[in-house]
Amino acid sequence: MSNSTVDVPLQGGFSFDLCRRNDMLSKKGVNPPSYRKTGTTIVGLIFQDGVILGADTRATEGPIVCDKNCEKIHYMAPNIYCCGAGTAADTEAVTDMVSSQLQLHRYHTGRESRVVTALTLLKKHLFNYQGYVQAALVLGGVDCTGPHLHTIYPHGSTDTLPFATMGSGSLAAMAMFESKYKEGLTKDEGISLVVEAICSGIFNDLGSGSNVDVCVITKGHKEYLRNHLLPNPRTYISSKGYSFPKKTEVLLTKITPLKEKVEIIEAGEAMEE
Amino acid sequence: MEIQRADKCVMASSGFQADVKALQKQLAARHLIYQHQHNKQVSCPAMAQLLSNTLYYKRFFPYYSFNVLGGLDNEGKGCVYTYDAVGSYERVGYSSQGSGSTLIMPFLDNQLKSPSPLLLPAQDAVTPLSESEAVDLVKTCFASATERDIYTGDKLEIVVLNKEGLHREYMELRKD
Amino acid sequence: MDPFAAIEPRNSDRTASQSRFINMKLDTSGLESTAPHFGTSCELFSGFSAAPSFDLPVTTDFDGFQKESIQMVKPAKGTTTLAFIFKEGVMVAADSRASMGGYISSQSVKKIIEINPYMLGTMAGGAADCQFWHRNLGIKCRLHELANKRRISVTGASKLLANILYSYRGMGLSVGTMIAGWDETGPGLYYVDSEGGRLKGTRFSVGSGSPYAYGVLDSGYLISYNTCIRYKYDLSVEEAAELARRSIYHATFRDGASGGVASVYHVGPNGWKKLSGDDVGELYYQYNPVSTSTVEQEMAESSST
Repeated sequence: MSNSTVDVPLQGGFSFDLCRRNDMLSKKGVNPPSYRKTGTTIVGLIFQDGVILGADTRATEGPIVCDKNCEKIHYMAPNIYCCGAGTAADTEAVTDMVSSQLQLHRYHTGRESRVVTALTLLKKHLFNYQGYVQAALVLGGVDCTGPHLHTIYPHGSTDTLPFATMGSGSLAAMAMFESKYKEGLTKDEGISLVVEAICSGIFNDLGSGSNVDVCVITKGHKEYLRNHLLPNPRTYISSKGYSFPKKTEVLLTKITPLKEKVEIIEAGEAMEE
Repeated sequence: MEIQRADKCVMASSGFQADVKALQKQLAARHLIYQHQHNKQVSCPAMAQLLSNTLYYKRFFPYYSFNVLGGLDNEGKGCVYTYDAVGSYERVGYSSQGSGSTLIMPFLDNQLKSPSPLLLPAQDAVTPLSESEAVDLVKTCFASATERDIYTGDKLEIVVLNKEGLHREYMELRKD
Repeated sequence: MDPFAAIEPRNSDRTASQSRFINMKLDTSGLESTAPHFGTSCELFSGFSAAPSFDLPVTTDFDGFQKESIQMVKPAKGTTTLAFIFKEGVMVAADSRASMGGYISSQSVKKIIEINPYMLGTMAGGAADCQFWHRNLGIKCRLHELANKRRISVTGASKLLANILYSYRGMGLSVGTMIAGWDETGPGLYYVDSEGGRLKGTRFSVGSGSPYAYGVLDSGYLISYNTCIRYKYDLSVEEAAELARRSIYHATFRDGASGGVASVYHVGPNGWKKLSGDDVGELYYQYNPVSTSTVEQEMAESSST
């Protein structure tokens, strides 16, 4: 009897065997490969006509910057965008997946996607994986029910807020929002506040850096401002430049023509088309 | 990063700020006592060994600091000493320490590979650069390291030490 | 004068391990400042001019702390050093690489430490540990010379070092060294390590590359295998230097943690002399001169016809 219970394929539910194995391995000193993390500042706010999302563009691997200008504002639907913090692969995969589900849903229903739909799909997926999908998201969009802004934590909990921040620079960014946000901001005010919040993350948080991306979503319209601000140009470029003259020394050159050594036999028939 | 100086001796340290401060304070005090006792400045090689010993006395509870010491030796030639956290040191042609060292060192190796001091017959290890070229190189190193190392940035302090004396230069680095 | 003469007597009622560590005093007799102090000793100076002692962390778990702090300062690892006695003295050789994990932190480490004109030490294990205690040994040897009007024997010097290292046993020092020199009894060679070991011998190799070095060294050093193994003792200086150089070279070839410059020193009756220092990259071409091999030649000939 005990055997049969083991042999029956698992029905539903999730297996966390590998998580336990990984814990055991890391306790024994086997370190998993490092992955690209976006120590990040991502923000979003609701202004009078819609939603503004903002993100920095630094991706790090440990202490090293591995991408100076990555994109952290992901497309979900024409009227919905999503900022991602955490493991780059996870944020990208989860947003892509949900985005395609939304597309299919649109084909099916012939209506514009709603932000809550995206929110539900995302939180369901994240909750299923109990925090092992390391994605912290700020989801924003405008649909038939008006502008919406949500944050989603890696474990699947969500918030609905007028202004939100996420990532390692969230505290720095939130400081700006808390002191300056008010209801009914104009578009320009909104953008400048988002930029200010991201810059505060860029300059005060080591994990965030490089440029500012902004995405403005209003009813029936969106504006993706890639590299809206470049506050960190290279500080010094040598006037004369550098040369790297040392090449591997050529000690011996010899060409052996292979064609003369091989007898080429024409293949019998040409391959059939 | 932190730069401190005696007359013909400058040291740059990275690591844990409190340990760095304690270490530099200790060295400054030893230097002052030396001046009072002998009525002269500590030579750079002597300072180099003093630093080594000071670090080693904390062998079982090390100073979390990584140091480079530069200056003029007894013959008036430039010298650079590089250290690990517990005081092993070595005289070299150029060196870099800290979180950005793995980015800077390969570049320096490529640009100014000086012959090893262990080679026999000995070869002159002085890097053939003018002062402006050298400063230019340092600035490039730091600008580049700041691009990729999250712990390096904000501002750069360069100290140039030669027989005429000592002067400082500053440069802004990326602030993110 | 000796500030540690007043070591408190072992207090039997203090049994807590905590207080034992705080009051632990070590053999630091070699560390005392030997420079005379002028004037009366002043309270202000005492912190600086008195013998410095090793700070020990105030912790109940000293071993655990040690493990962590060793991790923090990762000693230089990966080395090939060797030394052997032959007719004309002792030959000492070493590579010059220091690595921290995969990163080569230096290609120009001086792993052969010149203790005095008649004695050399080699460095394997923690760079700071070796450097510091050899410097310390140099001081002690000089003091012995001044006190006794004769040079210290290699036996004596190696024992001094071994005793110090033994007193620190279990505290995390990492030293594997050979003391080579010439004294009144002729050439001397000892192996000393931080575990307290001290061996007299005619040839040693220490470090991660030592198996490779031993392979070459033994094949050149032992005269024959079919009769009883006899030392090929009567090498000339040139032959011995070449043997040492080749051993280091082949070790650097196979051991990724060894490399840089192969330095060779000879200790004779008149003290040590550095014989050579060659970049092992250059040595490769010296030992493997570029020439068309026979097969390639044949191919070249056949293609030209």
